[in-house]
Amino acid sequence: MKFAHSLILISVLMLCPDVLKAETPVTSADASAVTDAALVPEAQAPIDEIVIAQAEKSSDEQKATPVTEQAEGEYVPEEGEADAPQIADPLDPVNRVVYHFNDKLYFWGVKPVTQVYSHIVPEDFRFAIANVYDNLWAPSRIINNLLQLRLKAAGNELIRFVFNSFAGIGGMGDMANEALGIKKQEADFGQTLGHYGLGHGIYLVLPVYGPSSIREGIGLVGDQLMHPLTYVKSADLTFGQKVGISAHEKVNDTSFKIGDYESFKDAAIDPYVAMRDAFVQNRLKKVEESKK
Amino acid sequence: MKKRLAIITVILCLAFPLAAFAGAALDAVKGNVDKVLDVLRDPSLKSESSKQIKKNKIRAIGDNMFDFTELSKRTLAVNWSKFTPEQQKEFISLYKDLLADTYADKIVAYTDEKIVFTKEVSLTEKTIEVQSTVIRKTQEVPIYYRVIKENGSWLVYDVVIEGVSLVNNYRTQFREILSNKPPTSLIETLKKKVGRA
Repeated sequence: MKFAHSLILISVLMLCPDVLKAETPVTSADASAVTDAALVPEAQAPIDEIVIAQAEKSSDEQKATPVTEQAEGEYVPEEGEADAPQIADPLDPVNRVVYHFNDKLYFWGVKPVTQVYSHIVPEDFRFAIANVYDNLWAPSRIINNLLQLRLKAAGNELIRFVFNSFAGIGGMGDMANEALGIKKQEADFGQTLGHYGLGHGIYLVLPVYGPSSIREGIGLVGDQLMHPLTYVKSADLTFGQKVGISAHEKVNDTSFKIGDYESFKDAAIDPYVAMRDAFVQNRLKKVEESKK
Repeated sequence: MKKRLAIITVILCLAFPLAAFAGAALDAVKGNVDKVLDVLRDPSLKSESSKQIKKNKIRAIGDNMFDFTELSKRTLAVNWSKFTPEQQKEFISLYKDLLADTYADKIVAYTDEKIVFTKEVSLTEKTIEVQSTVIRKTQEVPIYYRVIKENGSWLVYDVVIEGVSLVNNYRTQFREILSNKPPTSLIETLKKKVGRA
Protein backbone atom coordinates (compact mmCIF):
# COMPACT_ATOMS: atom_id res chain seq x y z
CA MET A 1 0.00 0.00 0.00
CA LYS A 2 2.79 2.35 0.83
CA PHE A 3 4.26 1.68 -2.55
CA ALA A 4 1.01 2.57 -4.24
CA HIS A 5 0.82 5.73 -2.25
CA SER A 6 4.25 6.92 -3.32
CA LEU A 7 3.41 6.08 -6.94
CA ILE A 8 0.38 8.33 -6.75
CA LEU A 9 2.47 11.04 -5.17
CA ILE A 10 5.03 10.81 -7.96
CA SER A 11 2.28 10.89 -10.58
CA VAL A 12 0.74 13.96 -9.06
CA LEU A 13 4.11 15.65 -8.94
CA MET A 14 4.67 14.91 -12.59
CA LEU A 15 1.26 16.16 -13.59
CA CYS A 16 1.63 19.42 -11.76
CA PRO A 17 4.78 21.09 -13.01
CA ASP A 18 4.00 23.96 -10.67
CA VAL A 19 5.28 21.82 -7.87
CA LEU A 20 8.57 21.48 -9.65
CA LYS A 21 9.51 25.03 -9.02
CA ALA A 22 13.11 24.53 -8.10
CA GLU A 23 15.38 25.27 -10.96
CA THR A 24 18.38 23.03 -11.26
CA PRO A 25 20.85 24.50 -13.71
CA VAL A 26 23.21 22.08 -15.32
CA THR A 27 26.74 22.89 -14.38
CA SER A 28 29.22 22.44 -17.12
CA ALA A 29 31.12 20.16 -14.80
CA ASP A 30 28.35 17.71 -15.54
CA ALA A 31 30.24 16.07 -18.32
CA SER A 32 27.26 14.00 -19.41
CA ALA A 33 25.47 17.12 -20.61
CA VAL A 34 28.38 18.13 -22.77
CA THR A 35 28.13 16.97 -26.30
CA ASP A 36 30.95 17.61 -28.65
CA ALA A 37 29.08 17.62 -31.89
CA ALA A 38 32.34 17.25 -33.80
CA LEU A 39 33.05 13.87 -32.37
CA VAL A 40 29.57 12.52 -32.04
CA PRO A 41 27.29 14.43 -34.36
CA GLU A 42 24.45 11.98 -33.90
CA ALA A 43 24.74 11.80 -30.15
CA GLN A 44 21.70 12.65 -28.14
CA ALA A 45 22.49 15.02 -25.33
CA PRO A 46 21.27 13.47 -22.14
CA ILE A 47 18.84 15.97 -20.80
CA ASP A 48 18.03 15.07 -17.30
CA GLU A 49 17.58 18.60 -16.12
CA ILE A 50 14.69 19.91 -18.13
CA VAL A 51 12.66 22.11 -15.95
CA ILE A 52 9.49 23.77 -16.97
CA ALA A 53 10.02 26.74 -14.79
CA GLN A 54 6.49 27.93 -14.58
CA ALA A 55 7.42 29.83 -11.49
CA GLU A 56 9.50 32.10 -13.68
CA LYS A 57 6.55 33.27 -15.69
CA SER A 58 6.01 36.90 -15.05
CA SER A 59 2.46 38.00 -14.69
CA ASP A 60 2.91 39.92 -17.92
CA GLU A 61 3.75 36.81 -19.85
CA GLN A 62 0.83 34.93 -18.43
CA LYS A 63 -1.50 37.55 -19.79
CA ALA A 64 0.12 37.29 -23.19
CA THR A 65 -2.14 37.09 -26.20
CA PRO A 66 -1.55 34.02 -28.32
CA VAL A 67 -0.30 35.31 -31.63
CA THR A 68 -2.03 32.91 -33.97
CA GLU A 69 -5.43 33.89 -32.70
CA GLN A 70 -4.91 37.34 -34.13
CA ALA A 71 -6.20 37.92 -37.61
CA GLU A 72 -3.49 38.38 -40.21
CA GLY A 73 -2.15 41.88 -40.15
CA GLU A 74 -3.55 42.70 -36.76
CA TYR A 75 -0.64 41.66 -34.68
CA VAL A 76 -0.82 42.82 -31.12
CA PRO A 77 2.52 42.40 -29.40
CA GLU A 78 2.61 40.31 -26.31
CA GLU A 79 2.57 42.33 -23.18
CA GLY A 80 5.91 42.63 -21.56
CA GLU A 81 7.73 42.39 -24.85
CA ALA A 82 6.12 45.41 -26.44
CA ASP A 83 9.06 47.55 -25.47
CA ALA A 84 12.64 46.51 -25.18
CA PRO A 85 14.53 48.21 -22.37
CA GLN A 86 15.35 51.77 -23.32
CA ILE A 87 17.93 54.32 -22.33
CA ALA A 88 17.82 58.11 -22.49
CA ASP A 89 20.21 59.42 -25.12
CA PRO A 90 20.13 63.21 -24.98
CA LEU A 91 23.77 63.35 -26.08
CA ASP A 92 22.99 61.43 -29.28
CA PRO A 93 24.90 63.84 -31.60
CA VAL A 94 28.04 63.81 -29.45
CA ASN A 95 27.77 60.06 -28.84
CA ARG A 96 27.54 59.43 -32.58
CA VAL A 97 30.73 61.41 -33.16
CA VAL A 98 32.53 59.35 -30.52
CA TYR A 99 31.01 56.17 -31.97
CA HIS A 100 32.48 57.02 -35.38
CA PHE A 101 35.80 57.87 -33.79
CA ASN A 102 35.86 54.44 -32.10
CA ASP A 103 34.84 52.78 -35.34
CA LYS A 104 37.77 54.37 -37.20
CA LEU A 105 40.09 53.63 -34.27
CA TYR A 106 39.18 49.96 -34.61
CA PHE A 107 39.56 49.67 -38.37
CA TRP A 108 42.61 51.92 -38.73
CA GLY A 109 44.37 51.26 -35.42
CA VAL A 110 43.35 48.39 -33.19
CA LYS A 111 42.58 45.87 -35.92
CA PRO A 112 45.77 46.21 -38.02
CA VAL A 113 47.93 46.32 -34.89
CA THR A 114 46.15 43.24 -33.53
CA GLN A 115 46.60 41.38 -36.81
CA VAL A 116 50.36 42.00 -36.79
CA TYR A 117 50.48 41.07 -33.10
CA SER A 118 48.58 37.80 -33.68
CA HIS A 119 50.98 37.02 -36.50
CA ILE A 120 54.00 37.37 -34.20
CA VAL A 121 52.63 35.94 -30.94
CA PRO A 122 51.36 32.35 -31.13
CA GLU A 123 47.82 31.70 -29.95
CA ASP A 124 48.86 29.68 -26.89
CA PHE A 125 50.97 32.56 -25.63
CA ARG A 126 48.17 35.03 -26.22
CA PHE A 127 45.85 32.73 -24.36
CA ALA A 128 48.21 32.60 -21.35
CA ILE A 129 48.61 36.39 -21.45
CA ALA A 130 44.82 36.80 -21.52
CA ASN A 131 44.60 34.62 -18.41
CA VAL A 132 47.19 36.71 -16.58
CA TYR A 133 45.31 39.91 -17.37
CA ASP A 134 42.02 38.31 -16.44
CA ASN A 135 43.45 37.11 -13.14
CA LEU A 136 44.23 40.73 -12.24
CA TRP A 137 40.51 41.51 -12.45
CA ALA A 138 39.75 38.82 -9.85
CA PRO A 139 39.91 41.25 -6.89
CA SER A 140 37.21 43.33 -8.56
CA ARG A 141 35.09 40.21 -9.13
CA ILE A 142 35.56 39.10 -5.52
CA ILE A 143 34.60 42.49 -4.07
CA ASN A 144 31.62 42.94 -6.39
CA ASN A 145 30.30 39.45 -5.75
CA LEU A 146 30.55 40.26 -2.04
CA LEU A 147 28.78 43.58 -2.50
CA GLN A 148 26.01 41.78 -4.38
CA LEU A 149 25.83 39.28 -1.49
CA ARG A 150 26.71 36.42 -3.84
CA LEU A 151 28.87 34.83 -1.22
CA LYS A 152 29.44 31.53 -2.94
CA ALA A 153 30.54 33.26 -6.14
CA ALA A 154 32.84 35.54 -4.12
CA GLY A 155 34.36 32.52 -2.38
CA ASN A 156 34.87 30.75 -5.70
CA GLU A 157 36.56 33.82 -7.14
CA LEU A 158 38.82 34.05 -4.10
CA ILE A 159 39.85 30.41 -4.49
CA ARG A 160 40.39 30.97 -8.21
CA PHE A 161 42.53 34.05 -7.57
CA VAL A 162 44.77 32.34 -5.04
CA PHE A 163 44.97 29.06 -6.93
CA ASN A 164 45.57 30.59 -10.36
CA SER A 165 48.12 33.07 -9.03
CA PHE A 166 50.25 30.33 -7.48
CA ALA A 167 49.50 27.04 -9.21
CA GLY A 168 48.80 28.82 -12.50
CA ILE A 169 52.03 30.85 -12.27
CA GLY A 170 50.57 34.33 -12.07
CA GLY A 171 47.42 33.17 -13.75
CA MET A 172 48.91 31.96 -17.05
CA GLY A 173 46.66 28.95 -17.02
CA ASP A 174 43.13 28.84 -15.72
CA MET A 175 44.10 26.00 -13.42
CA ALA A 176 41.17 26.56 -11.08
CA ASN A 177 38.81 25.77 -13.92
CA GLU A 178 40.82 22.91 -15.40
CA ALA A 179 41.90 21.20 -12.19
CA LEU A 180 39.19 22.15 -9.71
CA GLY A 181 36.30 22.84 -12.05
CA ILE A 182 35.68 26.25 -10.50
CA LYS A 183 34.41 28.65 -13.12
CA LYS A 184 34.84 32.36 -13.37
CA GLN A 185 32.07 34.28 -11.60
CA GLU A 186 31.73 37.52 -13.51
CA ALA A 187 30.85 40.61 -11.50
CA ASP A 188 31.62 44.29 -11.96
CA PHE A 189 30.86 47.53 -10.17
CA GLY A 190 28.36 48.85 -12.74
CA GLN A 191 26.41 45.64 -12.17
CA THR A 192 26.64 46.12 -8.40
CA LEU A 193 25.17 49.62 -8.72
CA GLY A 194 22.39 48.21 -10.91
CA HIS A 195 21.86 45.43 -8.39
CA TYR A 196 20.94 48.06 -5.80
CA GLY A 197 18.51 49.75 -8.13
CA LEU A 198 20.58 52.51 -9.67
CA GLY A 199 19.53 53.27 -13.25
CA HIS A 200 21.80 54.00 -16.18
CA GLY A 201 21.28 57.75 -16.14
CA ILE A 202 22.05 58.60 -19.75
CA TYR A 203 23.79 56.74 -22.53
CA LEU A 204 27.42 57.63 -23.14
CA VAL A 205 29.82 56.42 -25.79
CA LEU A 206 33.28 56.64 -24.26
CA PRO A 207 36.32 57.16 -26.45
CA VAL A 208 38.26 53.90 -26.95
CA TYR A 209 36.08 51.99 -24.44
CA GLY A 210 32.77 52.21 -26.30
CA PRO A 211 29.15 51.99 -25.13
CA SER A 212 28.55 53.03 -21.53
CA SER A 213 26.35 55.18 -19.32
CA ILE A 214 26.69 57.36 -16.23
CA ARG A 215 26.24 54.30 -14.03
CA GLU A 216 28.56 52.08 -16.04
CA GLY A 217 31.12 54.91 -16.23
CA ILE A 218 31.16 55.06 -12.44
CA GLY A 219 31.38 51.28 -12.57
CA LEU A 220 34.52 51.45 -14.71
CA VAL A 221 36.20 53.83 -12.25
CA GLY A 222 35.17 51.58 -9.36
CA ASP A 223 36.55 48.47 -11.07
CA GLN A 224 39.78 50.27 -11.86
CA LEU A 225 40.13 51.14 -8.17
CA MET A 226 39.87 47.42 -7.40
CA HIS A 227 42.61 46.59 -9.94
CA PRO A 228 46.06 45.85 -8.45
CA LEU A 229 47.85 47.85 -11.13
CA THR A 230 46.23 51.04 -9.81
CA TYR A 231 48.22 50.62 -6.60
CA VAL A 232 51.61 50.09 -8.18
CA LYS A 233 53.71 53.13 -7.24
CA SER A 234 54.59 55.55 -10.01
CA ALA A 235 58.25 55.02 -9.17
CA ASP A 236 57.86 51.42 -10.31
CA LEU A 237 55.56 52.00 -13.27
CA THR A 238 54.95 55.39 -14.87
CA PHE A 239 51.47 56.41 -16.00
CA GLY A 240 52.61 55.91 -19.59
CA GLN A 241 53.70 52.37 -18.84
CA LYS A 242 50.36 51.61 -17.20
CA VAL A 243 48.54 52.89 -20.28
CA GLY A 244 50.82 50.72 -22.38
CA ILE A 245 49.92 47.67 -20.32
CA SER A 246 46.20 48.44 -20.70
CA ALA A 247 46.66 48.88 -24.44
CA HIS A 248 48.42 45.54 -24.64
CA GLU A 249 45.60 43.94 -22.66
CA LYS A 250 43.11 45.39 -25.14
CA VAL A 251 45.07 44.22 -28.21
CA ASN A 252 45.63 40.76 -26.75
CA ASP A 253 41.94 40.48 -25.92
CA THR A 254 40.90 41.72 -29.37
CA SER A 255 43.10 39.08 -31.01
CA PHE A 256 40.48 36.47 -30.08
CA LYS A 257 37.60 38.58 -31.30
CA ILE A 258 38.64 39.81 -34.74
CA GLY A 259 35.56 39.60 -36.90
CA ASP A 260 32.98 39.99 -34.13
CA TYR A 261 32.58 43.74 -34.52
CA GLU A 262 32.63 43.40 -38.30
CA SER A 263 29.78 40.84 -38.19
CA PHE A 264 27.83 42.98 -35.78
CA LYS A 265 28.18 46.06 -37.95
CA ASP A 266 27.34 44.10 -41.06
CA ALA A 267 24.11 42.79 -39.54
CA ALA A 268 22.91 46.19 -38.36
CA ILE A 269 20.73 48.63 -40.24
CA ASP A 270 21.83 51.45 -37.92
CA PRO A 271 24.95 50.23 -36.07
CA TYR A 272 24.82 53.12 -33.59
CA VAL A 273 21.27 52.26 -32.48
CA ALA A 274 21.99 48.52 -32.63
CA MET A 275 24.99 48.91 -30.35
CA ARG A 276 23.13 51.10 -27.88
CA ASP A 277 20.30 48.59 -27.71
CA ALA A 278 22.66 45.62 -27.36
CA PHE A 279 24.46 47.42 -24.54
CA VAL A 280 21.23 48.10 -22.64
CA GLN A 281 19.91 44.55 -23.09
CA ASN A 282 23.21 42.97 -22.13
CA ARG A 283 23.65 45.08 -18.99
CA LEU A 284 20.07 44.40 -17.95
CA LYS A 285 20.78 40.68 -18.12
CA LYS A 286 23.92 41.11 -15.99
CA VAL A 287 21.96 43.03 -13.35
CA GLU A 288 19.19 40.42 -13.38
CA GLU A 289 21.76 37.66 -12.98
CA SER A 290 23.22 39.42 -9.94
CA LYS A 291 19.84 39.14 -8.24
CA LYS A 292 19.56 35.37 -8.62
CA MET B 1 -6.34 -2.95 -4.99
CA LYS B 2 -6.88 -3.78 -8.67
CA LYS B 3 -8.92 -0.65 -9.13
CA ARG B 4 -6.22 1.41 -7.48
CA LEU B 5 -3.59 -0.06 -9.78
CA ALA B 6 -5.73 0.82 -12.78
CA ILE B 7 -5.97 4.40 -11.61
CA ILE B 8 -2.22 4.56 -11.15
CA THR B 9 -1.69 3.19 -14.63
CA VAL B 10 -3.96 5.84 -16.11
CA ILE B 11 -2.18 8.57 -14.18
CA LEU B 12 1.19 7.26 -15.29
CA CYS B 13 0.07 7.16 -18.91
CA LEU B 14 -1.04 10.74 -18.61
CA ALA B 15 2.23 11.71 -17.01
CA PHE B 16 4.60 10.27 -19.57
CA PRO B 17 3.58 12.25 -22.64
CA LEU B 18 4.18 15.35 -20.51
CA ALA B 19 7.71 14.23 -19.77
CA ALA B 20 8.32 13.57 -23.45
CA PHE B 21 6.88 16.93 -24.41
CA ALA B 22 9.28 18.74 -22.09
CA GLY B 23 12.30 17.87 -24.24
CA ALA B 24 10.75 18.23 -27.69
CA ALA B 25 11.65 21.89 -28.15
CA LEU B 26 15.24 21.35 -27.08
CA ASP B 27 15.54 18.32 -29.34
CA ALA B 28 14.16 20.30 -32.27
CA VAL B 29 16.65 23.15 -31.86
CA LYS B 30 19.55 20.84 -31.09
CA GLY B 31 18.74 18.69 -34.10
CA ASN B 32 18.94 21.69 -36.41
CA VAL B 33 22.09 23.06 -34.79
CA ASP B 34 23.73 19.63 -35.15
CA LYS B 35 22.77 19.59 -38.82
CA VAL B 36 24.46 22.97 -39.28
CA LEU B 37 27.57 21.71 -37.48
CA ASP B 38 27.62 18.62 -39.69
CA VAL B 39 27.62 20.84 -42.77
CA LEU B 40 30.35 23.06 -41.32
CA ARG B 41 32.54 20.08 -40.50
CA ASP B 42 31.85 18.05 -43.60
CA PRO B 43 35.32 17.14 -44.92
CA SER B 44 34.03 16.95 -48.51
CA LEU B 45 33.04 20.64 -48.25
CA LYS B 46 36.37 21.83 -46.88
CA SER B 47 37.60 23.56 -50.04
CA GLU B 48 37.13 27.25 -50.66
CA SER B 49 35.09 26.54 -53.81
CA SER B 50 32.40 24.65 -51.91
CA LYS B 51 31.68 27.65 -49.65
CA GLN B 52 28.57 28.48 -51.66
CA ILE B 53 27.27 24.90 -51.34
CA LYS B 54 27.78 25.16 -47.58
CA LYS B 55 25.92 28.46 -47.43
CA ASN B 56 23.01 27.06 -49.41
CA LYS B 57 22.80 24.00 -47.20
CA ILE B 58 22.80 26.15 -44.06
CA ARG B 59 20.11 28.40 -45.50
CA ALA B 60 17.97 25.35 -46.21
CA ILE B 61 18.32 24.19 -42.60
CA GLY B 62 17.44 27.73 -41.48
CA ASP B 63 14.23 27.61 -43.52
CA ASN B 64 13.06 24.63 -41.47
CA MET B 65 14.38 25.95 -38.20
CA PHE B 66 12.92 29.47 -38.06
CA ASP B 67 9.43 30.89 -38.24
CA PHE B 68 10.20 34.01 -40.25
CA THR B 69 6.61 35.28 -40.19
CA GLU B 70 6.50 35.15 -36.40
CA LEU B 71 9.97 36.69 -36.24
CA SER B 72 8.89 39.55 -38.51
CA LYS B 73 5.66 40.20 -36.60
CA ARG B 74 7.44 40.34 -33.30
CA THR B 75 10.17 42.56 -34.68
CA LEU B 76 7.79 45.14 -36.11
CA ALA B 77 5.38 44.74 -33.16
CA VAL B 78 2.87 47.61 -33.22
CA ASN B 79 4.23 48.77 -36.58
CA TRP B 80 3.23 45.46 -38.22
CA SER B 81 -0.30 46.70 -38.82
CA LYS B 82 1.02 49.77 -40.67
CA PHE B 83 2.23 47.45 -43.43
CA THR B 84 -0.17 46.28 -46.17
CA PRO B 85 -0.33 42.49 -46.66
CA GLU B 86 1.96 42.85 -49.72
CA GLN B 87 4.41 44.95 -47.77
CA GLN B 88 4.34 42.42 -44.95
CA LYS B 89 5.20 39.67 -47.39
CA GLU B 90 8.01 41.68 -48.90
CA PHE B 91 9.31 42.60 -45.46
CA ILE B 92 9.40 38.95 -44.34
CA SER B 93 11.33 37.94 -47.44
CA LEU B 94 13.85 40.81 -47.11
CA TYR B 95 14.31 40.33 -43.38
CA LYS B 96 14.95 36.65 -43.96
CA ASP B 97 17.60 37.49 -46.56
CA LEU B 98 19.22 39.97 -44.20
CA LEU B 99 19.46 37.40 -41.43
CA ALA B 100 20.70 34.72 -43.83
CA ASP B 101 23.33 37.06 -45.30
CA THR B 102 24.64 38.23 -41.99
CA TYR B 103 24.35 35.16 -39.80
CA ALA B 104 24.20 32.02 -41.93
CA ASP B 105 27.09 33.23 -44.06
CA LYS B 106 29.15 34.26 -41.05
CA ILE B 107 28.96 30.95 -39.22
CA VAL B 108 30.68 29.29 -42.17
CA ALA B 109 33.86 30.58 -40.51
CA TYR B 110 33.17 28.78 -37.24
CA THR B 111 34.12 25.15 -36.90
CA ASP B 112 35.75 24.36 -33.59
CA GLU B 113 33.27 25.83 -31.15
CA LYS B 114 31.64 23.42 -28.76
CA ILE B 115 27.93 23.86 -28.15
CA VAL B 116 26.24 22.64 -24.99
CA PHE B 117 22.46 22.57 -24.66
CA THR B 118 21.47 23.02 -21.05
CA LYS B 119 17.74 23.36 -20.46
CA GLU B 120 14.31 24.55 -21.43
CA VAL B 121 12.39 27.30 -19.71
CA SER B 122 8.75 27.76 -20.63
CA LEU B 123 7.81 31.35 -21.39
CA THR B 124 4.12 31.10 -22.26
CA GLU B 125 1.79 28.21 -23.08
CA LYS B 126 3.05 28.12 -26.65
CA THR B 127 6.59 29.37 -26.27
CA ILE B 128 9.73 27.91 -24.75
CA GLU B 129 13.27 29.15 -24.37
CA VAL B 130 15.93 26.57 -25.22
CA GLN B 131 19.19 27.53 -23.54
CA SER B 132 22.63 26.70 -24.90
CA THR B 133 26.22 27.80 -24.40
CA VAL B 134 28.83 28.19 -27.08
CA ILE B 135 32.27 27.51 -25.64
CA ARG B 136 34.95 29.61 -27.27
CA LYS B 137 38.61 29.68 -26.32
CA THR B 138 38.49 32.70 -24.03
CA GLN B 139 34.82 32.92 -23.15
CA GLU B 140 31.49 31.14 -22.96
CA VAL B 141 28.63 32.70 -24.87
CA PRO B 142 25.09 31.93 -23.74
CA ILE B 143 22.74 31.57 -26.72
CA TYR B 144 19.04 31.10 -26.04
CA TYR B 145 16.59 30.09 -28.75
CA ARG B 146 12.98 31.11 -28.24
CA VAL B 147 10.67 28.69 -29.98
CA ILE B 148 6.97 28.57 -30.69
CA LYS B 149 4.85 25.54 -31.52
CA GLU B 150 3.48 25.78 -35.06
CA ASN B 151 1.55 22.84 -36.51
CA GLY B 152 3.20 20.37 -34.18
CA SER B 153 6.79 21.48 -34.67
CA TRP B 154 8.92 23.88 -32.67
CA LEU B 155 10.18 26.84 -34.69
CA VAL B 156 12.61 29.54 -33.60
CA TYR B 157 11.21 33.08 -33.46
CA ASP B 158 14.00 34.82 -31.54
CA VAL B 159 17.64 34.25 -30.67
CA VAL B 160 19.03 35.80 -27.51
CA ILE B 161 22.83 36.10 -27.34
CA GLU B 162 24.31 37.24 -24.03
CA GLY B 163 20.97 38.73 -23.10
CA VAL B 164 20.61 40.57 -26.41
CA SER B 165 17.42 39.57 -28.20
CA LEU B 166 17.73 39.68 -31.97
CA VAL B 167 14.08 40.65 -32.29
CA ASN B 168 14.37 43.45 -29.74
CA ASN B 169 17.58 44.73 -31.32
CA TYR B 170 16.05 45.01 -34.79
CA ARG B 171 12.79 46.33 -33.36
CA THR B 172 14.65 49.26 -31.81
CA GLN B 173 16.45 49.97 -35.09
CA PHE B 174 13.32 49.68 -37.25
CA ARG B 175 11.24 51.74 -34.86
CA GLU B 176 13.61 54.69 -35.26
CA ILE B 177 13.15 54.48 -39.04
CA LEU B 178 9.37 53.97 -38.88
CA SER B 179 8.85 56.79 -36.39
CA ASN B 180 9.26 59.38 -39.13
CA LYS B 181 9.22 57.39 -42.38
CA PRO B 182 6.62 55.17 -44.11
CA PRO B 183 6.93 51.35 -44.37
CA THR B 184 8.09 51.68 -48.01
CA SER B 185 11.13 53.55 -46.81
CA LEU B 186 12.13 50.71 -44.47
CA ILE B 187 11.59 48.21 -47.28
CA GLU B 188 13.85 50.29 -49.56
CA THR B 189 16.52 50.41 -46.86
CA LEU B 190 16.36 46.64 -46.46
CA LYS B 191 16.52 46.13 -50.23
CA LYS B 192 19.71 48.17 -50.39
CA LYS B 193 21.15 46.27 -47.46
CA VAL B 194 20.62 42.83 -49.00
CA GLY B 195 21.55 44.03 -52.48
CA ARG B 196 18.14 43.67 -54.09
CA ALA B 197 17.69 47.34 -54.94
